[in-house]
Amino acid sequence: MSSTRSNMWKAARRETARALTALVMALLVAFIIVLITSKSPVETFGTLLSGPMTSKRTIGLWIDDVAKLTMTGLAFSLVFQARQFSMGVQGQVYMGGLFSALVALSPIGPTAIGMPAAVLAGMAAGACYGFIPGYAKARLGANEIVSSLMLNYIAVNLVTYLVREPLVAAPGLLSTANFPPNTIFPTLIDRTRIDLGLILALISVAVTWFALYRTSWGLKLRLVGHNARFAEYAGIKANFIMVSAMTASGALGGLLGAMFVQGQAYGKLLVQFEGNLAFEGILIAIVARNRPLAVPVVALFYGYLRQGALIMGIRTDVPTEVIAVVQAIIILLVASSFKFGGGRLLARLKPAKPATATGAGA
Amino acid sequence: MTALLEARGIAKTYPGGTVANNGVDLSIRAGEVHAVVGENGAGKSTLMKILFGIEQPDGGELLLDGKPVHFAGAKAAINAGIGMVFQHFSLVPSFSVYENVVMGSEPKAGLRFDRKRAIAEVRALSEKFRLPVDPLPSVASIPVGQQQRVEILKALYRDARILILDEPTAVLAPQEVEELFVAVRSLVAQGRTVIFIAHKLPEVLEISDSITVMRAGKTVAQVKARDVTEQSLANLMVGREVTLKVDRAVTDKSTVRLEVAGLSVNHENGTTACADIDLRLRTGEIVGLVGVEGNGQQEFMETIAGHRAALRGSAMLDGVDLLDLPVLKRRQAGLANIPQDRIAEGLAVGASLAENMAATRLSDGGFVRHGLLDRKAMKANAAALIDKFAIRAAGPDAAAGTLSGGNMQKVVVARELSEDPKVLLVSQPTRGVDLGATQFIWKTITEARDKGAAVLLSSADLSELMALSDRFLVFYHGEIVAALENDESVTPEALGAFMLGLERQTPEQIRAVSL
Repeated sequence: MSSTRSNMWKAARRETARALTALVMALLVAFIIVLITSKSPVETFGTLLSGPMTSKRTIGLWIDDVAKLTMTGLAFSLVFQARQFSMGVQGQVYMGGLFSALVALSPIGPTAIGMPAAVLAGMAAGACYGFIPGYAKARLGANEIVSSLMLNYIAVNLVTYLVREPLVAAPGLLSTANFPPNTIFPTLIDRTRIDLGLILALISVAVTWFALYRTSWGLKLRLVGHNARFAEYAGIKANFIMVSAMTASGALGGLLGAMFVQGQAYGKLLVQFEGNLAFEGILIAIVARNRPLAVPVVALFYGYLRQGALIMGIRTDVPTEVIAVVQAIIILLVASSFKFGGGRLLARLKPAKPATATGAGA
Repeated sequence: MTALLEARGIAKTYPGGTVANNGVDLSIRAGEVHAVVGENGAGKSTLMKILFGIEQPDGGELLLDGKPVHFAGAKAAINAGIGMVFQHFSLVPSFSVYENVVMGSEPKAGLRFDRKRAIAEVRALSEKFRLPVDPLPSVASIPVGQQQRVEILKALYRDARILILDEPTAVLAPQEVEELFVAVRSLVAQGRTVIFIAHKLPEVLEISDSITVMRAGKTVAQVKARDVTEQSLANLMVGREVTLKVDRAVTDKSTVRLEVAGLSVNHENGTTACADIDLRLRTGEIVGLVGVEGNGQQEFMETIAGHRAALRGSAMLDGVDLLDLPVLKRRQAGLANIPQDRIAEGLAVGASLAENMAATRLSDGGFVRHGLLDRKAMKANAAALIDKFAIRAAGPDAAAGTLSGGNMQKVVVARELSEDPKVLLVSQPTRGVDLGATQFIWKTITEARDKGAAVLLSSADLSELMALSDRFLVFYHGEIVAALENDESVTPEALGAFMLGLERQTPEQIRAVSL
């Protein structure tokens, strides 16, 4: 079995090299754009590249982002592995945030179980919200892309309405009152945003990986993703797997919502709190090839770039939107499975390996 | 006389270390039908891809008209007069026949696509080469045999002197094969050269002038078709003596295992697929469902397997009506199923062999404990099956999609037979599978029968049905029109008459054998 393991490493190395090349090429394009749009391109580009490392605070922002990007990347990876294209993570984040806020602000909030109860409420709400498009697809044949996107709008606007009217702390504000302190995630490093959310994200990575690769549910899920007809043929209830995958992914989305509102960043529910982070999970899942263990690594790099762009937007004359171009290029490069030029040449220079037992397809 | 197309010492190693070609010689003379035969994995397809410019050889040279050539891509090969018809067609289903033929090099009138001329040219071409096909309907609406003609016309429209047909008969019914051969002969008569990749030796001997035999990436022989027999060719291909005969069952056939009564099934569009099928299947026997494809036997099999709903009727296995059960329960009741399309239904090609081989048993204690996978057991199971069924694969962790067709089919067969099923449904077990694997799969099915399995076999290959079955049930328009014991008196012609609906037995005659 050593040969298959070395093959696995080879594949992992190839994927890593591919992702890194995509990153470098995207940065080159970013540099060209900066060159065109900025009056002092070198400093601007320097800000993009070094921004997140400038202070303890910015490092904290970066790592906080990584935790959140990991969660959304996981949520998308899970549904993508089952070949369900549910786009509902954003809606699940809002619903999760809303329900963990409701619990945190309820009489349960200040009690000892306040924090876990709020987190669980967020996860449950996200799971329900993920269940809806799955059930609609299984029962009514509703396209999950459309239904989940529509549910996103409902969730975003529902939270906006609730926060502005019934739940608002004081007239004119766009947030609820602060949560009781005991419901807010403790920091891991003082005076940064790095909090319990990071640990929850890492636990989620492990749990998702375990569920996908070590449980029969995960194998069924992946088989449905590989070939749904085969799964049916093998006696696997593809519909149940599909709905449960979307529900589990929804729980991850809901947890992300709780991480937002209960985290050091906010500690309260406010409108548009998610800042368009949820959809970035699609990019992370694609680059990570839906592998849970690769998700945090990709999130680390991508989060750095994202923070760099935000800081660049604040400190220089180039708008943050430039990074949207970089993002698009990364997706294009990775999704198109580009090959390295000269790879074939290299392969030819190497001596041919002895024949293996596997026959070529005839 | 110099060869029209010659390959000398072609070598090709795929990234990953698979040696597909290693010193292949091929010499094709103008105006002949040249067959290339060999088992799956012998490197035939790779050689053809090299001839057609899709793959680049690592070593060796190609000569066209005695001059060295190098094809950088398919376009270069097409320009040099080489055309290829793949096993899986590359047609646009929603486009009409003539649009598909001319696509990419349309006749123009100014900037406009000159449709009239295109239709006329396609018509002329199809008459000239005896490839009758109406240019106007959409490709999706014509049968597979005609779609293949469209592919051939596509190559001829681009003036192919040399036509490569990659396993052209694999998708065709017997009558369509005859028509294809008529066309091939007319092509050769008009000065074209045909390279014919094939598995089925009788066809190869019938159509070809010369035969190149490949084995394990090498050319092992080039012979004249008139100098060899089916047996000697088979021995050359496999590299050892092969037997093409199977022992008939001498098992105890007293116990009825599966009793189907009044089973009726509809197509998705509401038309009848099969109606009021009655049959009894006993332990230790193989019952062959005979019929031209599309006469209801496939739908019948799918219904028993649980992938299609029955309109009415019952299928009792040891006193339990299978039709009431979901697929998993049917499997637990002792049903196993080798489906007709291994890639679409029988496997998850992206998943590993260990996962594929455990996929049907994820609800029993063998591989799953408390919801967790027992990966050791899965791997051990896969390793044992790989060993027992001589599956050529890198190991239990190899993805199913990396195997050749014959080995993929062995994976399916291995999984379905691993639990000694009571009833085994088999559809097209050896379609697109090479001779060595075919022999092996036949042997495996007969061994299952000897262990007491009741086997329902459906196949488009009449010789396969005749080799394996104890009884025949002939399907025509969704009915059983004849039921025969398989003995010396049954000939392919006699079955053919029932298959085409020219004759039918009386209900009494049918019931006497089908029950």
